[in-house]
Amino acid sequence: MRITPAEITALILSIKTALLSLIVMFPPGLFVGWLLVKRSFPGKAFLNTLVMLPLVLPPVVSGYLLLVLLGRHGLLGGFLFDVFGIELVFSEFAVVVALSVISFPLLVRGIMGGIQSVPSELENAARTLGASPVKVFWTITFPLALRGIIGGTILGFSKSLGEFGATIMVAGNIPGKTQTIALAIFNAVQLAEDATVYRLVFISTVVAFVALWLTERLTLR
Amino acid sequence: MENGIRIHLNFRKRLGDFILDVDCELEKKVSAFLGASGSGKSTLLNCISGTVSPDAGEIVFGDEMLYSSATGINLPPEKRRFGYVFQEGYLFPHLTVAQNIRYGQPKSRNSTTVIDILEISGLLQRYPKQLSGGQRQRVAIARALAMEPRMLLMDEPLASLDSTLKARIIPYLHHVKDAFDIPILYVTHAFSEILALADEAFLLSDGKLTANGEPHHLLTAPSAMPIAQLTGVENILSLPVMLSDKARGVTSLEIGSQQLVIPYTDADIDTLLPVAIRAEDIIISLAPDLPISARNILQGTIQKLDVVGERTLVSIHVEAHPLLVKITHEARAHLNLQVGSAVYCVIKANAINLLWR
Repeated sequence: MRITPAEITALILSIKTALLSLIVMFPPGLFVGWLLVKRSFPGKAFLNTLVMLPLVLPPVVSGYLLLVLLGRHGLLGGFLFDVFGIELVFSEFAVVVALSVISFPLLVRGIMGGIQSVPSELENAARTLGASPVKVFWTITFPLALRGIIGGTILGFSKSLGEFGATIMVAGNIPGKTQTIALAIFNAVQLAEDATVYRLVFISTVVAFVALWLTERLTLR
Repeated sequence: MENGIRIHLNFRKRLGDFILDVDCELEKKVSAFLGASGSGKSTLLNCISGTVSPDAGEIVFGDEMLYSSATGINLPPEKRRFGYVFQEGYLFPHLTVAQNIRYGQPKSRNSTTVIDILEISGLLQRYPKQLSGGQRQRVAIARALAMEPRMLLMDEPLASLDSTLKARIIPYLHHVKDAFDIPILYVTHAFSEILALADEAFLLSDGKLTANGEPHHLLTAPSAMPIAQLTGVENILSLPVMLSDKARGVTSLEIGSQQLVIPYTDADIDTLLPVAIRAEDIIISLAPDLPISARNILQGTIQKLDVVGERTLVSIHVEAHPLLVKITHEARAHLNLQVGSAVYCVIKANAINLLWR
């Protein structure tokens, strides 16, 4: 089995953008997860729905909404293009944005599950021992929620690796620039390049299997 | 024992249908709150520790206002510096015993004193799941003391342990009481623990304080009837030791000018021993000189006769000590018992249980 340089480029791009979106979304994911589990505030159900929406929305719809927001005539994209001449869509940046939006619900779900598994009595005990809420989070909540947090991280990462619909809408399918593995497979099928299809399908299946298996090992005791 | 710090509790907290409403001053070294489960004991301690906020009222520690609904003061738990020992221990499972103890400890201090007092130096490298129930509670007490608290709150620290283990932990609590000059607030449903440790006891019933006093006194106070319900024994007496004879295997207690003989227990003359006798374990006789094996035949007078279902509850005063006796209606008719009748209470030594010593 010989992998071509173009296929390696697609694989590297997939991993790079998935990792970047994970790094960018992890801190807000941790905060939102904590907020949704530990705090009660007006609009909590709304925030929860908003965060989880990409999970049930067709990815193409999420991608289209992003395009409306970030495109050359979009609300944010239009302003940036007119004032600074910066184009957000059809770039590596757009891939990261698409992956972030699509994988965020899975990341937050994992984090929420982890935080829910920490008895609030332990956190209260830490408070009585003189720890501030911030110290309690980093010394008690976070380490005890780590399994769920890692689980959510891996699941979000795997989801990013296989993302197709939102990416193609907002970033296009430009080889060497925005063509991730999933898009490359689609391309190869269209062009009837069977050998390329087999190799890429094999690679993505292995990556997805390993990620999921790691999650199960970490979350099942 | 006085503690020198006045603690003033006057607050209300509603949880669903339940309302905790307390108003009291704590002045003794060890104050205990006694109540059945659901009486509000844990809520009381949670409000004092700051992990739960009352609805109204105030909590004052010495000169410092910790909570006041009038001025909006509500000090967070980490600023109150009250060591809290929970019924379940709540040790941090991902930290070793040593790390648990160090968690709340001020920097540059060592915890050798608490480690010595609670004899846990051999456990320091273990994780909580590698500890037995008794060890876990000792570590929990050490962790609460290592933070150098201004007061120690204990929520049924012995409730999760069996009776043998309880008896082994109580001496450690005594060491703690002697070694640390801080007030201790102890909450339990077991009166024996209060007799063993407390200087003053408060009775908590359905969210209200119904009685308070020195534990031995509270035991026999009429307002403290819930204690009988808690222990399931109708008669609880606190009596001084007259004589303890190991060779004969008996200890004699003074009940007015008469004697109550119980199985031998190692106790000094004049110490107060709390004993419990079930109402159905007492036989009423009209004559004192019976050819029977029972060692106790106490003279008394009937004060009251109450019909309680299938039985008659007879209230008898043995000099100043009230005793409740449960008999059948038929026995009452047969003996023709009336208020004012002089009777003898016959009690087997083995029917008398020591509550605590």
